[in-house]
Amino acid sequence: MNALKAPNTAVLTAMNRPTPWYRTTWFRWVIGIVIAIVLIVLPNVMPTLGNQTAARMLMWAVAVLGLNVIMGYTGQVSLGQIFFVGVGAYATAITLKTEWAQSLGFLGAVIAFVLAIVVPGAMGFLIALAAARLKGLAIAMVTIALPIIGVPLAKRFSDLTGGYGGISVPSTWFKAPEWTGLGSDPYAEWPYYLVLVISAAVFALTFFLVRGKYGRAFAIVKANEAVAASMGISPYRTKVLAFTIASMIGGIGGFLYMVVVGYTSPDTMSFPQSINLVIATIVGGAGSIVGSLLGGVYFVLVTQIPTALQLSTYTTVIAGVVILLVLFLLPGGLSSLPRVIRRLASRGRVRGGGNSSSTTKNVDDGTAVSIAGEPGNTKK
Amino acid sequence: MTTFIQLIVDGLAQGSIYAALALAIVLVNQATGLLNFSQGAMAVISAFVALTVTTALAPALGTTMAIIVAIIVAILFSFVLGGAVERLVMRRFEGGDQDTAVVATIGMLTLITGVVGVIWGYNYQQFPWFFPIAQSFMVGGIGISLWSLTTFLAIVVIMILLQLVFAKTKLGLGLRAVADNPNSAALSGLKVGRLLVVGWGLAAVLGSVAGILIAPKLQLTPTMLDSALVYALAAVVVGGLDSPIGAAIAAWGIAIVENLSAFYLPFVGNDLKVAVPFVLLVIVLVIRPQGLFGRKAVVRV
Amino acid sequence: MLLELSHITAAYGPVQVLEDVSLAVPDGGAVGILGANGAGKTTTLRAISGTVRVPNGTIVFDGQDIRGRRPEQVAALGIAHVPEGRGTLANLSVRDNLLVGAYLRKDRKQIEQDIDFLLDLFPNLRNRYKSNGSALSGGEQQMMAVCRAFMSKPRLLVLDEPSLGLAPSTAKDVYAAIRRLRLESGIAMLVVEQNANLAFSIVDEAVVLETGRSVLRGTTAELKGNDEIRKAYLGG
Repeated sequence: MNALKAPNTAVLTAMNRPTPWYRTTWFRWVIGIVIAIVLIVLPNVMPTLGNQTAARMLMWAVAVLGLNVIMGYTGQVSLGQIFFVGVGAYATAITLKTEWAQSLGFLGAVIAFVLAIVVPGAMGFLIALAAARLKGLAIAMVTIALPIIGVPLAKRFSDLTGGYGGISVPSTWFKAPEWTGLGSDPYAEWPYYLVLVISAAVFALTFFLVRGKYGRAFAIVKANEAVAASMGISPYRTKVLAFTIASMIGGIGGFLYMVVVGYTSPDTMSFPQSINLVIATIVGGAGSIVGSLLGGVYFVLVTQIPTALQLSTYTTVIAGVVILLVLFLLPGGLSSLPRVIRRLASRGRVRGGGNSSSTTKNVDDGTAVSIAGEPGNTKK
Repeated sequence: MTTFIQLIVDGLAQGSIYAALALAIVLVNQATGLLNFSQGAMAVISAFVALTVTTALAPALGTTMAIIVAIIVAILFSFVLGGAVERLVMRRFEGGDQDTAVVATIGMLTLITGVVGVIWGYNYQQFPWFFPIAQSFMVGGIGISLWSLTTFLAIVVIMILLQLVFAKTKLGLGLRAVADNPNSAALSGLKVGRLLVVGWGLAAVLGSVAGILIAPKLQLTPTMLDSALVYALAAVVVGGLDSPIGAAIAAWGIAIVENLSAFYLPFVGNDLKVAVPFVLLVIVLVIRPQGLFGRKAVVRV
Repeated sequence: MLLELSHITAAYGPVQVLEDVSLAVPDGGAVGILGANGAGKTTTLRAISGTVRVPNGTIVFDGQDIRGRRPEQVAALGIAHVPEGRGTLANLSVRDNLLVGAYLRKDRKQIEQDIDFLLDLFPNLRNRYKSNGSALSGGEQQMMAVCRAFMSKPRLLVLDEPSLGLAPSTAKDVYAAIRRLRLESGIAMLVVEQNANLAFSIVDEAVVLETGRSVLRGTTAELKGNDEIRKAYLGG
């Protein structure tokens, strides 16, 4: 006695269709190469401001990527990512201001980079040891503490951190070396390339991470911790790992912040900035590599466009409206736009079968909304 | 000793603000399962509404009357606001993924803060009050801040009123039923949607009272209650998400400990006293993950 | 007929659960719905109380078409649904649970009298009167759920698997209590039950569901006498 109906023809047809041209590996490589070429050639074509904006977008994309590791892929709300960005920035700045770093030249920068990963990473690890034991909302609370406490801490230890005023890094650090032959605007192009190379590396590493065994562990823990445990995956360890990686990536973001902006202050890791980062992550698309890039773009544009249009008082209102619209209309974020468009298009074509939503509902109509996109979708 | 008592009294007053917000958050959480990050922002906008009404009416009615009318208007406004937010925005997220719902409330927080900034600007504004904020009176040789005392009493009274509504009225029964088991409530004929709107409205009123009470002390600005919100959330988590009394007690505890450590522990000082609630939070959660007064969640796989 | 279902269908997403179900409950009568797991019994009740969408067929209650109405509206019309798993309001006292059942009523005095009436019929609930719902045993919660439904003074009491999760002797007690309630009040009932013997102790007739279809109908006597039924549901 089973309740199987006639086979669902829509699903079968989809399974047997040849892969559409836009999904083939071939096409993706082409797109990848085109994008790479564009990114490399860009600085020569754009004015300085364009370079700086692009670099900032990449930098914030890295920060968002870190947040995605813990929030999008592993499903733990973290409101403290900005703290690690700030720590990375401060670590970089403090190191680069010391005399011995300056005497070491390029090696000094490398050391700063390493510290920008290790210091936030160590902090993230320790915090995760405590926080990963807690249930969802408690983790949010503990992570909120980070920016809230971070700001006065940065102000307090002003000898080290420059207090209210913050620290800036002498711009000579990021001047283009002779061998690159970057003529016209060494201050704008070199930082951009530096950011491009580093963020490309981080994105690539993360891409492989989430595709591999750890990425799968993240996804299972996100879906159901009890199930994960029964499969031999320790939710606690997975969360600690994810959080540590997120904080390390955040630290790299902080390093890049110093490259691009050259200056950091306590406000870099304030509570409002933390919120902005979370919003950018969701708008871009949680749990998605492309989404992280889009999130970085959004983060920069949401303040830059209103200012350019003389509407800077409306920045916050616009940000609020955007996130609510995204949650209502496109909960998977901007990165889910192609998928949604495709689904809307195919709904017009296929009749019968498919998803009719007559599930039992508690209070009102409408299936509940989730930012993680479709269930069972392992995002790239 | 004098300072000690003053710190306690001030802590009770500040804690009352956190407690009111915390209670509002617990209320909303029990009814709809969401942590409302915009609770503080809703309180702030109604405080601004009160400011505008006061400024408009003061020439005609005199300051005291104007403030009273303003408070009434602001309370009504916040009730409508809370209900509208639930019905129009939050309803969509209530059955589903918790994290999405939290982000929705964060979006609401951003939106409301932005609207306040646009309408009233980001400068600090002074909120007129019934008496000078610095005024204090003597009890047994100790100077007690009048504001602290009245704030504390006002909020305790509101809490008692709310408790009475919940325990003794039909509406309260309905709200509790919907919070406990909306499906069963619906099967018994309760209009679940309507009750949710009322629940959010009441929570907003609670927050609005807190916002108005603290406005004269803090000076009005769109982000005025951002840190109070964080304290309130900490209190909710420490007290236990499902225990209103626990949240209130935790709020008072947090405020008092914060004040005491700012004064008596020099390395903490006034700027790092914000760390105190979180230290407490971590300690409590490590020992008792469900909060001091919370119930252990039984997870059915 | 107090309640009449004709050829209703229902689905959860792409899974068709009810294909063709028809049944009828006469005024003051008691009808059982029997069948194996997954046959669609609970879904049928959900279709009646409005918690699941019913694309086809008709549901007529007291002359009114109630298909597509929301649970609150269905409850207001006089159908009280005791859900599977009892639906206890865990953090409310027994008294409050009962009062929630009476939410739509305005006659204070009568409500108190009804509470008394029910506590007489179910004395162990009287002992637990002030306790929270969660403190009650499974059997007590089931009885309380029935009482809560009864408090709305319904025309039809709909019970979903009252014996679910209860030890056999407790289930028997619960059914004995329901039987007493029926005798004292004459209320109409629709009962979903996997344990056919228990069901037969309180219903006059029953409908058997199989993979979403109502396949057999008859009085208790007829069904008990039916060999297939005996083998499939009554243990031979």
